[in-house]
Amino acid sequence: MNTVQVVLSGAMLGGLYALMAAGVSVTWGVLRVINLAHFGLILLGAYLTYQLVTIWRVNPLVTLVVTVPALFVLGALLQWAYDRLNIVEFNSLLVSFGLLIVMIQVAQNIWTADHRELPRDINPFDTGSLSLGPIVLPYDRLVCLGLAVLLLGGGHLALQRTFVGRGMRAFAEDRTVAASFGIDHRRLSVLLGGAAGASAGIAGMAFMLGNLIQPSHAYEWFGIVFAVVILGGLGNLLGTLFAGISVGALSGLVGVLWSHAYVPIAVFAAIIVALVLRPQGVFVRRRAV
Amino acid sequence: MTATAGTTTAGSATAGTGAPKTVGTIPRGLLVLIGVSALVAVVATFSSDLGLASYHLVLISTVLFWATQATSWNLLSGFAGYFSFGQGAFLGVGVFTMAVMAGRNDVNYLLAIPVGGLLAGVLAFVIGAVAFRLRSLRGEIFALLTLAVPFILGSIALNTRSIDGGLGTTIPTPDRPDWVPSFQHLMVLLNLGAATIAVAVALAVYHSRLGRGLAAVHDAEDAAEVVGVPTFRYKMTAIVLGGVLGGMSGAIFAMMLGYVEVPVVFVLYIPLFIILICVAGGRRHWAGPLIGAALLVVLTEWFKVAKLDQYRDIVLGLLLVGIVVIAPDGMFGRLRRHPWIALVTFLVVAGGLLASGYYAELDALLYGMAASVVVTTLAGLPRVERLWRRQATSDSPAAPAAAPGPGTGAGSATRSSTGFAAPPPPPPGGRVLVSVEGVTKDFGGVRALDNVSFDVTEGEIVGLVGPNGSGKTTMVNLLCGAMQPTAGAITIDGRAIKGLAPHRVAHAGVARTYQIPKPFTSMTVRDNVAMAVMFGRTGASYAEARQRAEQCLATVHMQHLADALPESLNLHQRQLLEMARAIAAEPAVLILDEAFAGLNPAEIDDAVAVIRRIHASGVSIIIVEHRLRVLQQLATRIVVLNRGTLIADGAPSTVLNDAVVVQAYLGRQRA
Repeated sequence: MNTVQVVLSGAMLGGLYALMAAGVSVTWGVLRVINLAHFGLILLGAYLTYQLVTIWRVNPLVTLVVTVPALFVLGALLQWAYDRLNIVEFNSLLVSFGLLIVMIQVAQNIWTADHRELPRDINPFDTGSLSLGPIVLPYDRLVCLGLAVLLLGGGHLALQRTFVGRGMRAFAEDRTVAASFGIDHRRLSVLLGGAAGASAGIAGMAFMLGNLIQPSHAYEWFGIVFAVVILGGLGNLLGTLFAGISVGALSGLVGVLWSHAYVPIAVFAAIIVALVLRPQGVFVRRRAV
Repeated sequence: MTATAGTTTAGSATAGTGAPKTVGTIPRGLLVLIGVSALVAVVATFSSDLGLASYHLVLISTVLFWATQATSWNLLSGFAGYFSFGQGAFLGVGVFTMAVMAGRNDVNYLLAIPVGGLLAGVLAFVIGAVAFRLRSLRGEIFALLTLAVPFILGSIALNTRSIDGGLGTTIPTPDRPDWVPSFQHLMVLLNLGAATIAVAVALAVYHSRLGRGLAAVHDAEDAAEVVGVPTFRYKMTAIVLGGVLGGMSGAIFAMMLGYVEVPVVFVLYIPLFIILICVAGGRRHWAGPLIGAALLVVLTEWFKVAKLDQYRDIVLGLLLVGIVVIAPDGMFGRLRRHPWIALVTFLVVAGGLLASGYYAELDALLYGMAASVVVTTLAGLPRVERLWRRQATSDSPAAPAAAPGPGTGAGSATRSSTGFAAPPPPPPGGRVLVSVEGVTKDFGGVRALDNVSFDVTEGEIVGLVGPNGSGKTTMVNLLCGAMQPTAGAITIDGRAIKGLAPHRVAHAGVARTYQIPKPFTSMTVRDNVAMAVMFGRTGASYAEARQRAEQCLATVHMQHLADALPESLNLHQRQLLEMARAIAAEPAVLILDEAFAGLNPAEIDDAVAVIRRIHASGVSIIIVEHRLRVLQQLATRIVVLNRGTLIADGAPSTVLNDAVVVQAYLGRQRA
């Protein structure tokens, strides 16, 4: 029973990973920008949530009213700059790494390197849990999973069904052709960068529900989030959701059967196996060549 | 460019040409390096007599340490372009080897240093063996995978009692021989030793076949494989060399730290700083990391002294962004254009500030370097450079030959020389060079080729045609070893190529061109072709290869562009360069993949003439092409694929009038 419990709560935590990975996956897959600064945006989202909740003393979900637009603007600005300077793929990795370092240091200068957490008396998700017989589902993780399903599912539908989404997919396939059919790539990419930023705001808030925050966390998210991105398939939101849940469950399982220290190794091995077997992503539907 | 008979006899001599032949640049470079090292060693040893404080020794050690790490990183990531975020892993293995051996088990540090190098080399081997075997590995994925390695090692160290276990380890002050005055002196000497070895390795690699092969991997990896560069072996060599050097230097780093714990070693600051050093200094030359290390270590030390540590990372981060955007090639190229200006500016500014007595040494150094960088950059601006050139006959050694502008179709003057109306010569029924037997290729559930068989005999020009999606490109990829068939066998010149790496298939006698040309962008046209000679079937030294490259360029009428860089060529010229590079390998069979795509009629005629000349020199050719008009002029035989199956094989006139072919090509209603 313990194993089932651990796998389940790992899977719910996977929702958080998927939330964090969504923005990276979409900008990489569609815009060909590997945006490490996205982790900085998540960090910022988390700290903003902390700051607003402490000042206003409201439910953390309410702070999204401020954080989401703020990070949308920031993400859009970032993408606009990448676009202006024509930074894609490899250079984007370097440039956004530099930006991430800057963001982490700024966060550290403002909020210090100490742990911060939401005040316990205000955070309604902190300790409570839903009991289903012997299995306990903590509220904060349920919220993570719920947000992930809503956001990534909704994003997936938006990419599949709306005009803007179709334009983006066309753009991902072939920029020149898409441009010649009248798709304004500047506006699209700024919009998409903004959306990614907004998702970082939500991910940051979700992280704060059940965790302490510290500037160096931005680095610690790297490994698992990129595992989710690669396993899910670049630009594939539904795949990212499933990959997030699976990676979460796998981490939980390895943690209970073996040791928490070996979770990164297991995740790493999963990436390698996945790259060997399904280079285009594990959770991607087979496509004709 | 003799007939194939000549190349087969020469092929047996390949074994003898494996060792890198150097041109004398290595000995000269090594001599300079040893001289500089000796000078630093003498200065360091007699530092107190020269009035240098202990602090200066620490600064020297720090610069040397980072220069070693950056050089180690640069071997793979700079030369071959596979960026690693995992240099901290090699460094960390070295650090913890020293911690466990010298810190916990009282082993002599002189033993721990090479062991650290060895273990890091083993780790590098494992990383390389896993990562470079992934066929879908792209540079970005490699970078992200390497990012994870230090974290994994960190978590292992943190959770293993015998390594660290979260307790940390104190490294005892090492014993030193009597002639070494202090601990700081010892550190300078050890770091100097490591740096000298590292730079010597980088210098030797840079000037050898290995270095040129890695540069080709950097520019266009699949093209490098096709001209015969053993890419896997070269990348492995580079990563293992880098690992050994990084581990050795890491072990010394542990001694500098004195107290070792996981959070100090496995942090992202280390790879960041190393990448920044190399990006700032210049990644494609062995000297780049040295310049970068000097610049950045002085800068960070200045921050430390000025008590501005909380802004250090902000400045470093912005610097990385700025350099990538403004000067992605780094400072080395700029400094090299005007070395004297750089040196004089530095000496004048730094010396002047020091002499004025108002500035500390570190300030003077930093301002001197900054001034040197700014002045050299200004001097390198095209507008300023023109003034400079007019005034004096340039004394800068590295003034590159001006690349001729694009335009003028290369060999349009020669079009008349080979009348192209003449029908192609009949095939001389001879040796079978290429034999494709029952080849099938599946991609997932899609069958791209289904039981295809055909032969190519010596002296033929075979046209491989078919509508889009008929499997032509897949066939080409199978023939040159980029893919493996699901079933069936391919034989080149009597040798089965199943399971051979692409560079071995190249050595078996297959050369190809790409529909979208893939030149080695950092090399001149001549060097592009020379690469194929160096790594071709017979192999050659760099100097010899450059000479033989001239002949190949003459065959395609590109001699006048030999010193141009590929980016200044037009599409037709790039296609001709592809052909020159392909024939430079002295292939038995040349595969031309849509060599006429995007060319205008005059250029097509020109290309046809070039292909005739290549054929006349004794190379059999397979042309993949849409345009039947061109094939009618050129091909001695045509093979038609449709939806993965072979539907016709025969003389052009018969095949092109075949009802099935016409239907496949033009659709039903015209048939």
